Amino acid sequence: MANDGFSLSGGLMQALKTRMQYQQSRQKVLAVNVANADSPGFRPVDLKPPSVDPARAGVAVAQTNAGHMSLTSANGGFDGASAPRFETTPNGNAVNLEDEMLKVAQNQSDYQLAASLYSKGLGLMKIAIGKGR
Amino acid sequence: MDLIKSIAVAASGLRSQSGRMRIISENIANADSAPDRAGAEPYRRKVPTFQRHFDRTLDAQLVALGKVQRDPSAFKVKHEPGNPAADAKGDVQMPNVNSLVEMVDMREAQRSYEANLNLISSTRRMIQRTIDILRA
Repeated sequence: MANDGFSLSGGLMQALKTRMQYQQSRQKVLAVNVANADSPGFRPVDLKPPSVDPARAGVAVAQTNAGHMSLTSANGGFDGASAPRFETTPNGNAVNLEDEMLKVAQNQSDYQLAASLYSKGLGLMKIAIGKGR
Repeated sequence: MDLIKSIAVAASGLRSQSGRMRIISENIANADSAPDRAGAEPYRRKVPTFQRHFDRTLDAQLVALGKVQRDPSAFKVKHEPGNPAADAKGDVQMPNVNSLVEMVDMREAQRSYEANLNLISSTRRMIQRTIDILRA
């Protein structure tokens, strides 16, 4: 059961979905950093990448009551991390615009990669059910 | 959706940077606004300030233009006895605007504005990619 094609591609789609959610949240955090590039005392923040821990895969929260939440429905956000600081201006602002733009570009291309892989995965499923091409 | 929110955050950055540019151009335009009579003050340079505030609906720190303050530094003094605004010694007070400082400030505002614009176009490309999944 664990190694059949469907659950494999289901896991792949789930992983890509998590990745895309992470890129979207990170885009928002980077937008806040860029918008506050001149606000006094502002410290830039970043998001930690989602941890892919193979030991924890397949571990579910015990549900002893119908009202309990399951892990899949609980969509916790991503952990914040303070971005490295290169320079701090006299007004206490530590945003480095070049660094932020670099991160935005990288975030965008990572997102495009995940989105392309996701649509490829959809194409694979279409082939499997006989509607490919 | 977070992508729409990031566009809204970048738009707040655009708004405050263009407000800053408005104040800078006001300073440059008034760089020679001498007082109209003796004893009156010339134009005093305006300084834009930025304030960040937490927006609960967007769950993000937006930026807005704060109170516009006046530069308390001393006025420039020009010796011009023929000027109607000259005092007894023949000196005229001129605005404390340094056009070099204003130009540098303007360039910085322009750079921040472009950074916010880049962010919006990058976010739009990400949204387009999301819609492309449907088409595949």
